Amino acid sequence: MSTAHISLSLAWRSLILVRRMPSVFIPSLVMPLFILVATAGAFRGIGALPAFEGSSYLAFTIPFATMMGGGFAGINAGSSLARDIEGGFVDRLIASPSPRLALLLGPALAAMVRSAFTTTIIFAAGFIGGVSLPGVTGTLVVYAVAAAFSVVTAGWSMGVALRTGSVQSVPLMQVVVFTAIFFSVPYAPREAQDGWLRTVSDWNPVTYMMEASRDAELAGVSASSLGLGILSAAILITLFGAFALFGLRRLGN
Amino acid sequence: MSLALRQTQALSRRAVIRTLRIPQAWVPSLFFPLMLMAIFSGSFAQAPGRIPGFPEVAGFIDFVIAGIILQAVLISGTSQGAALAIDIEGGFFDRLVSSPVSRLALVSSRILANVVQGIAYALFFIGIAMVFGARIEYGFLGFLLVLVFTALLAAAAGSLGVVLALRSGSAEAAQGSFPLFFALMFFSSAFFPRETMDGWFKVVADLNPISYIVEGMRVPIVGIGDTTDVLIGLALVVGLVALGFIACLMALKRRLRGDL
Repeated sequence: MSTAHISLSLAWRSLILVRRMPSVFIPSLVMPLFILVATAGAFRGIGALPAFEGSSYLAFTIPFATMMGGGFAGINAGSSLARDIEGGFVDRLIASPSPRLALLLGPALAAMVRSAFTTTIIFAAGFIGGVSLPGVTGTLVVYAVAAAFSVVTAGWSMGVALRTGSVQSVPLMQVVVFTAIFFSVPYAPREAQDGWLRTVSDWNPVTYMMEASRDAELAGVSASSLGLGILSAAILITLFGAFALFGLRRLGN
Repeated sequence: MSLALRQTQALSRRAVIRTLRIPQAWVPSLFFPLMLMAIFSGSFAQAPGRIPGFPEVAGFIDFVIAGIILQAVLISGTSQGAALAIDIEGGFFDRLVSSPVSRLALVSSRILANVVQGIAYALFFIGIAMVFGARIEYGFLGFLLVLVFTALLAAAAGSLGVVLALRSGSAEAAQGSFPLFFALMFFSSAFFPRETMDGWFKVVADLNPISYIVEGMRVPIVGIGDTTDVLIGLALVVGLVALGFIACLMALKRRLRGDL
């Protein structure tokens, strides 16, 4: 069987686990929704600052929540792989003639699908709150950024899982992903940020992914922010893809 | 000193030492609130006095200290609950029950341990905030008032942790209750004033007792508000401590009866 075929089978296996183990999937759906509601409700007032240019704070929060959804989907890919390593499923796959790359591609693909599902739920919640969809291109960009972030975080989380081989490493996966998101522009645009946080967010590639998604959500797709977002996503996917691939190479040893 | 007090002291000392030995038990209480304090004060620095309804405090970091301390004691309370549940799972609790240890000491020791930890966390966060320019407007007396609030909040959070541990007997269940506390905290004025909220969210924050407790605790730090705010906050948190302690004793009674 080809790599693509096995990857698709593993992605499907990962997706049907959602039905078998809802306790794994539900938090990754509920948390982005909670973030959307709690952030937009608690900090709504900050939207009055000139840096927000009069946009709705709920609409401003949507890209943060969709990227959190992508992040959770990526972490799920890593935690599922760690569970498969502990349970011996990965050993059986390695012993079989299936290509090893499928071990990474399958869960990454499943993470993208999960991220698309969460993004749909977030858009629906936003719509209930009075935020309409940002046009076809804008909507596609928001979906694409969240999916790209799910691949980035899946690469990181699977790399960690392959090195530790233990579900106990899940907190490590989470801390890095959440730190990367929180030290970008989740609550306010860079223009409103102060001091060292501004410096950190300027250097954080996740900032540019979130800005690309936010521009698409609020003001329509802009070539400059989309370009920076694509570049950041490409760099992060390459970096963490390599991290996971090297982990995969160590697995056999 | 009465025997029950000495036993409470010894057991709470054990609880604090065990917490110190396990980084997973104390690092989250420092890391997550510290991260939120850093992110919020960097993101919302322009808010004070510039957005309608936000009080003209010296800086956002001054405004958010009370909410951050609250978050730390809530995390610490669930960790104390999880630690007690581990004692139940491992049989240490049963050995204590079969010994002549005071029943009151079994629950009050965990609560006292959370108070000690809560005060340590408050000192840490106030210290860090001061390094970044925060100050307590009401001076040393204001500082002491903040510590009194912290101790009471920690006692309330510790008792909630103990109730969850006694009722479930599972560390996972006790630890898993944190998202509920986290939601309660976000749906309040812990991080942003109620005056800037609207709609159903404001109704929830208005009904949430945590809003009034944090607002009372905030008065001596930011110097805005009056004695009534402080007294309402203190009355509510004392009420929570009393309710929590009664719930602890009831859960202990049920566990000792073998109902749980």
